[in-house]
Amino acid sequence: MGGILQQCIHSGFGVEMFKEDLTGPEYAERYIEKMQLAGLEFRTNSLVTELHEDRTLVYTNPIEGYVEVQGKAVILTMGCFERTPGQINLYGDRPAGIMTAGTAQSFLNKDGFLVGKRVFILGSGDIGLIMARRMTLEGAEVLGVAELNPYSSGLARNIVQCLDDFDIPLYLSHTVIQVIGSSRLESIIIAEVDEQKQPIPGTEKTFEVDTLLLSVGLIPDRHLTAQAGIKLHPRTGGPIVNNRYETNVPGIFAAGNGLHVHDLVDWVSLEGERAGESAARYVQGELTDAELISTEPGNGIIYVVPHYVLKQVDEDVRFYFRVDNVYKNVKVNIYKDDELLKSLKKNVMVPAEMEMIKVANQDILDASRVRIEVEVL
Amino acid sequence: MYDVIIIGSGVVGALHARELSKYPLSILVLEKNNDVSMEATLANSAVVHSGHDPKPGSLKAKFNLLGNRMYRQLSKELHVPLLECGGLVVATSPEEEQVLDGLFERAGVNGLLENEYQMLTREEALILEPNLSDQVSKAMSLPTTAVTFPWEMAIAGLENAINNGAQLLMNHEVTDITRSEHGFVVHAGGDVFEAKAIINSAGAYSAHISEMLHPKFFTITPRRGEYFVTDNRFPIVQTVVYPAPGKKGKGILATPMVHGNTLLGPTSNFVDFDAQHQTTPEGLNEVRNNITKTIKHVPFDKIIRSFAGSRPTADAGDFIIEETSPGFVNLGGIESPGLTAAPAIAKYVVEELVIPRFSVLPKSDFDPIRKKRVKMHELTINERNEHIKDNAKYGHIVCRCETVTEADLDAIHRPVRARSHGRDQTAYRAGAGRCQGAFCSLEVLKILSRELNIDPIDVEYKPRSFVLAAKTKGAQ
Ligand SMILES: Cc1cc2nc3c(=O)[nH]c(=O)nc-3n(C[C@H](O)[C@H](O)[C@H](O)COP(=O)(O)OP(=O)(O)OC[C@H]3O[C@@H](n4cnc5c(N)ncnc54)[C@H](O)[C@@H]3O)c2cc1C
Ligand SMILES: Cc1cc2nc3c(=O)[nH]c(=O)nc-3n(C[C@H](O)[C@H](O)[C@H](O)COP(=O)(O)OP(=O)(O)OC[C@H]3O[C@@H](n4cnc5c(N)ncnc54)[C@H](O)[C@@H]3O)c2cc1C
Repeated sequence: MGGILQQCIHSGFGVEMFKEDLTGPEYAERYIEKMQLAGLEFRTNSLVTELHEDRTLVYTNPIEGYVEVQGKAVILTMGCFERTPGQINLYGDRPAGIMTAGTAQSFLNKDGFLVGKRVFILGSGDIGLIMARRMTLEGAEVLGVAELNPYSSGLARNIVQCLDDFDIPLYLSHTVIQVIGSSRLESIIIAEVDEQKQPIPGTEKTFEVDTLLLSVGLIPDRHLTAQAGIKLHPRTGGPIVNNRYETNVPGIFAAGNGLHVHDLVDWVSLEGERAGESAARYVQGELTDAELISTEPGNGIIYVVPHYVLKQVDEDVRFYFRVDNVYKNVKVNIYKDDELLKSLKKNVMVPAEMEMIKVANQDILDASRVRIEVEVL
Repeated sequence: MYDVIIIGSGVVGALHARELSKYPLSILVLEKNNDVSMEATLANSAVVHSGHDPKPGSLKAKFNLLGNRMYRQLSKELHVPLLECGGLVVATSPEEEQVLDGLFERAGVNGLLENEYQMLTREEALILEPNLSDQVSKAMSLPTTAVTFPWEMAIAGLENAINNGAQLLMNHEVTDITRSEHGFVVHAGGDVFEAKAIINSAGAYSAHISEMLHPKFFTITPRRGEYFVTDNRFPIVQTVVYPAPGKKGKGILATPMVHGNTLLGPTSNFVDFDAQHQTTPEGLNEVRNNITKTIKHVPFDKIIRSFAGSRPTADAGDFIIEETSPGFVNLGGIESPGLTAAPAIAKYVVEELVIPRFSVLPKSDFDPIRKKRVKMHELTINERNEHIKDNAKYGHIVCRCETVTEADLDAIHRPVRARSHGRDQTAYRAGAGRCQGAFCSLEVLKILSRELNIDPIDVEYKPRSFVLAAKTKGAQ
């Protein structure tokens, strides 16, 4: 139990929920204890292989075999998976030594296996940054991190603590244009890219490395959703939900990285609590239907979760969203229909850091749309 | 002393081994890699072509048609999936319609029966393949076109051969061959073997092997083909869609795979041996730009992998299938349609060239059937649970994306063993899905290490490369 947290042995978890700086496994342990105290039944080593619209699902493990159960409610918290070498345009051979940073992390932190000794990292996602530090501490040499965008896709604190502190160069607006080596990776060539993200001839640099780790994005795991008829959002990649975290299929809820990719575990926990509470209310028959208020990403915003709010008295709504670029000295405006409801000043906003704004539920009940927008001052 | 040594364990070597194992002969297959069929047989279009396309009168034309007609039976006997999906060659302009007319004529000359090729209007073609592009004006239907699982075919052929008495040695690269009183002396992987006859099915290296005994009489140049593979949850086509052929051969195809993925490609470029498996921006762009000519709704965001395969193209352009000196059979230039032709080439070589030397009759106890592996996804929940009761490993799913169980990985202990991480990914599909092994590769590594009884650090990824570089102090 604990998911991805079990391989995140670094600290930095729980600052918000527990006001403590915990490691991933420590953070997970707090919740596992709570589950055990509450006497919840659980299954490990059990993979859900099917999910249907009527909330029946099939799981399997070596002890029980395949089991079909029907939930009065079902919550999807399947996490996310990493974009793979196959999904990006990586040109050249397919030697050993190319893998996602999360895979290398599981090898190292779960079993103490080091996947390489001279390492380059493509993509500045948090897992890549964390692994740059981890591999360095374990005696590998990390020669650099290349990022296609002109800004990092990882948290600022990770850039400082994982790269700067170890003198690992970050090449912004750079990408790997070729991998060389037929059985084991021998070298890679990187190049600077122009505004259209095309490599600029003459800017190539070669690094002799045996390993290339990829930290080029995370995608919510949605392989059970299609069969159950759950609608997905094109920008988040996860299900479309309302402020109860309920999907379009009644009684099926979603939260965490399987809904949209988070950078802070504390917000995953908050979402999980809200989804859990809604599911409990659904089972008690307490959830009633209502008209929907849609939430819309305006200027500068990639997406807003939840995608809908029910016109119904309920808890305050936390809107989670990400910006589409680096912004300095801006205001975030929340509009209900076309009326400005709330405005917050921000010195810096970056795509790597998810934003959250809480809005009182009764303030928007008479709206038909809520829009969040960045205003450059 | 062996009766026959086969050099190379691609689909060609494998099916020769199986064909020979029908006779009371001692057979040895020598393979340089740590796993079988990791070369041309690993990276190709997997199409069992109908035989409509090769130049009339060529060996390619002859063995393609014969091979196609053997595939159904062979796939059944060896329990290798065969997708009998048919094919369509489509025209998108008046010029291409003319090319199609020429191809129609050629299909007849090549011996296809009347019901094996038909000209269709756009409307008729759309019934067979709804996802054709709007430009498609006419199509030739080839109902006997099918799709196989290439390396599974090679593995199955070898397994069946081994069950019928053949032997296989991996990590044995043939480095020298000399003649001896009774036949040949073969040096491979530090060992020396003797054989009365040799079949050279070393694919891209067949010219090199031939030159160990003969003066050079053919050259092989790698001809690279680049591809995209798409996620199997979003099928794109239900039939093989060929463009009208051009100067560069059959062109860029959309091919439904036996596991539901779609293959887009290949390109066709002569390259150096060094570059034969490299993908390039030019090549993959060519696939991207050409595929939308023949089909539509191409989900480029559902691509899970790209790769390049290498055709061992001989200078003469045709297959070389010849006993070039007594007892030495050269199989050179077995490029496309080599996968389709392989069973027919094997039957011809064994029956016409090899067996006459030995004057033996077929064995009465040859068993053509390779036992079917349990395929959990084909079973009902109750049937699955019966298997799990016998073997709990069937309940342990290692690869979530392709639902590969720990029991599936017990194939490590079958006659043709998987020894490398790369092989698990291809043959047993652990890591072949959308996450490309991100979740399961650690577990696969540990299972390989446990079952092969080797240290994790010694688990190979591909031939001559390892998954791990070191262990931390804690893990030592
Ligand atoms: C490398 C890394 C570093 C991070 N660092 C920090 C940090 O310093 N501070 C911080 O606050 N946050 C950090 N985070 C973010 C935070 O840890 C994650 O966002 C959070 O743990 C995600 O939780 P989750 O439950 O949504 O998903 P996961 O933890 O991924 O859990 C999903 C679970 O679902 C299971 N599952 C999936 N499919 C199935 C199925 N079909 N059947 C059964 N089970 C299934 C999986 O096995 C897994 O256990 C980090 C994340 C990563 C990856
Ligand atoms: C891009 C592409 C697309 C294709 N599409 C199709 C198609 O759709 N339909 C079709 O019918 N055909 C197709 N083909 C052709 C088909 O893949 C080949 O004809 C077939 O796989 C050749 O098999 P093989 O056994 O001769 O060669 P290989 O599979 O290359 O096997 C040769 C074996 O010999 C071994 N070897 C080499 N040297 C030595 C040595 N010195 N000692 C020991 N072992 C050695 C190698 O390691 C290898 O295992 C395609 C080919 C390519 C490349």
